[in-house]
Amino acid sequence: MTKILSQSLRNRLLAGAASVALATAAVFGVTTGAASATEMVWADTLPSGLDPHVVFDVPMQMYMLNVYDNLYRYQGNPPVLEPWLATGHEVSDDGLTWKFKLREGVKFHDGSDLTAEDVVYSFQRVLGLKRGPASAFLTYLKPENVTAPDPLTVQFKLDTPYAPFLSAMPLVSILNADVVKSHEVNGDWGSAWLSSNEAGSGAYTFDAATYVPQDTVDMARFADHFRGWADNAAPIDTVHARFIKENSTRILALLNGEVQATDSYLPSDQVERVESAEGTHVATDESMRVMVIRMNNAKPPFDNANFRRCLSYAFNYDGFIDVIMQGHAKRNPGPIPATLWGSPADLKGYTYDLDKAKAACDLAKSEGAPIDRKVEIHTQSELDLTLQAAQVLQAEAMGLGLNIEIVPDTWANLTGSMGSKDTTPDMWIHWVSTYFVDPENWIGQMYDSQFHGTWKASSWYTNAKVDELLRKARTSTDQAARQADYEDASRIVVDEAADIWIYNTIQMRGMSDKVKGYNFSPVGSGAEFRTLSLTD
Amino acid sequence: MILFLIRRLLLVIPVLLGLLLLTFVMIRMVPTDPAAALAGENATAAQIAAIRTDLGLDRPVVLQFLSYLGQVLQGDFGVSLYSNRAIGADILQRLPATLELTFVALIFAAVGGIAIGTAAAVWHNSWFDHLIRLVTVAGLAMASFWLAIMLQFVFSMDLGWLPLRGRLPTGMTPPMAITGLYTVDSILTLNGTTLWASLRHLALPGATLAFGGLATVARFTRSSLLETLQNDYITYERAVGFPRWRIVLPYALRNSLVSPLNQIGLLFGGFISGAVVVEAIFDWPGLGSYLVGAILTADFNATLAVTLVVGVIYALVNIAVDLVQGLIDPRIGKDL
Repeated sequence: MTKILSQSLRNRLLAGAASVALATAAVFGVTTGAASATEMVWADTLPSGLDPHVVFDVPMQMYMLNVYDNLYRYQGNPPVLEPWLATGHEVSDDGLTWKFKLREGVKFHDGSDLTAEDVVYSFQRVLGLKRGPASAFLTYLKPENVTAPDPLTVQFKLDTPYAPFLSAMPLVSILNADVVKSHEVNGDWGSAWLSSNEAGSGAYTFDAATYVPQDTVDMARFADHFRGWADNAAPIDTVHARFIKENSTRILALLNGEVQATDSYLPSDQVERVESAEGTHVATDESMRVMVIRMNNAKPPFDNANFRRCLSYAFNYDGFIDVIMQGHAKRNPGPIPATLWGSPADLKGYTYDLDKAKAACDLAKSEGAPIDRKVEIHTQSELDLTLQAAQVLQAEAMGLGLNIEIVPDTWANLTGSMGSKDTTPDMWIHWVSTYFVDPENWIGQMYDSQFHGTWKASSWYTNAKVDELLRKARTSTDQAARQADYEDASRIVVDEAADIWIYNTIQMRGMSDKVKGYNFSPVGSGAEFRTLSLTD
Repeated sequence: MILFLIRRLLLVIPVLLGLLLLTFVMIRMVPTDPAAALAGENATAAQIAAIRTDLGLDRPVVLQFLSYLGQVLQGDFGVSLYSNRAIGADILQRLPATLELTFVALIFAAVGGIAIGTAAAVWHNSWFDHLIRLVTVAGLAMASFWLAIMLQFVFSMDLGWLPLRGRLPTGMTPPMAITGLYTVDSILTLNGTTLWASLRHLALPGATLAFGGLATVARFTRSSLLETLQNDYITYERAVGFPRWRIVLPYALRNSLVSPLNQIGLLFGGFISGAVVVEAIFDWPGLGSYLVGAILTADFNATLAVTLVVGVIYALVNIAVDLVQGLIDPRIGKDL
């Protein structure tokens, strides 16, 4: 007995020793951890949880686009809304009843069919959880008004007409209702379970066994995806998404071939390095993400339009874009990205002009605005560009005799303070990213006074004419009229200098030359793996 | 000995309670409010208020603390506000990574520091001693993030000897989880591949984390040993004709280790907090990176839980150090 035991132990020890030797050999080879032809490492930021109806931020788009499908989806740049799980839709003349026809034969990852009931459940779940994507629907859609007249038709009855409804469709991932329902605990809509598991139909399946929140998300190709794989001869079988927190490590990992793509916010000073290195390049794409310096229009001296104009003239736009960002951004003079309809083609906005700034400040002073007050500008500590923009403004304002103090802050802290006029900072800096591609996402929610108290409307801007234009555009079904309304509203808020709009983002993703088929879209920033392949 | 242990363990309770209270109050004093961020992009004020009520953030802070305390006493750290996952499970998943890194750094620092310090004391005022002094002062002064990036440049990028980041190569299956420490689990399951890979991945972050501590231990060992070597019994031993290494190695060194050992206990706490930076740069999936994420997103429950866990570890390590001191110095051991 003891002899057998020791025999087997010896064998295992020998095997162990052999594998040590093997590993040693493998490790001292040149290719440490490089992915094979069908494995890719994607080093972008990961969402904080995996329930697509709870977490809703930019990193979530990567996960949603690959693991889940939606009724409509944005593709390409500028983004085009394409029928995805739906084959098309009909709207009633009053804009209240929307009917979507579903594609036949769509399979979930567990092999069951995707039907209208799953769509109904998904929308009701979003409305019931009231998190993340829900805010785009809550004001005009009740859960009981989402119905399934037949297995391939979904019907929505809105309380009031809402023109951007279709553009908001990609916000909702369609879940496998039976699977999620079976994991519901205490009426949580299965959220605890779905935070670490999936119930989707997307082009990739998620491997729950290896999941480490905000660190490791492994995905495998779903061969039965409804789009098929005919348009991609060599799709990637396994995608390892890894969140590498430190910028310098992420770039080094790209350069030594450990990862095939970084996030899409490569710092400007690293572009040259990645471009000139062998085997890597930078994918640059103009996105729809506008950087804004917010001004609290409700607090003196910011309640004075001339003071706001003074600051708008004092910001060195070209200096910031050309020198600090090394040209990797596009000047955007208004709240709507210039590449989107609704932004007037002839909109000039403000230029860096200290004489005009001085004149505007003098005018503000003569109107009684307390322009000598020390004002605060809050930046986001983890985003260096917000600090740099604040410093550019601070330096110029000092020359005009204005006193601006920079206060480092965090996103959670900032958004938490926007509930009232008094707690909202004098100024703060952020970007408005693309969640749905409609001017409503920018100007509509930023300057309609009904949104006061949300961070998007944190300038506390009030103008009855603008409210009227934005509300008309929100409910109209006439595209040309909507465009005209948004253009008019843009001209007014720009004339009144509600905020300082700086630039539209050019997204830069460091990528391995091996990656082919990269299709950038402002929604998801090109992180849709379905079209990608790897070459040698 | 047993009584000492019980007494010390009981004393830990008020300390942890104080730690929890202090952290709780400090977190709530900052006007951070996760409800707005949770509500999503275009949430109205009413929607945000509803989430605030759901989370109980509108109740008085004292009540919030008491209910939190009750929860923690039942071993429930709550769920993360963002990921919706049980915080206890998330911490358990990440704690082994930090512990493994910290232990390795501690071994580097203790063994390396005592060896170098001893050598420097034995050959004091020699060129070797001066060199060590230079290196240790540099070690104390050097920012760990700088050292980390330099080590990455040299050993991962230029020479290509050691991996850049992570605990294992991407895609390699970790050894079966027994302790969660990849090295230990690899040995227990006789998996040579993962053992070798995890050791290689530990080398750079372990060295970075250990460097400052190694310098401290070396300095303390050197000065303490030099002092001991002045004692009468050393002069006696020398007079009797003991070989020099024999005097130093068991006798003088053992009597000189009390203060370096104290340092090692303190270092452990320092290493766990230092791991925040090192984990970030080497992409080490431990508690440090979890804590940073929690702070940036105002995830109260997660921040509190990590603070508590680190507090417990710190307290336990200090008790362990006291016990080891008793073993080394019987005079202390008698009083335990």
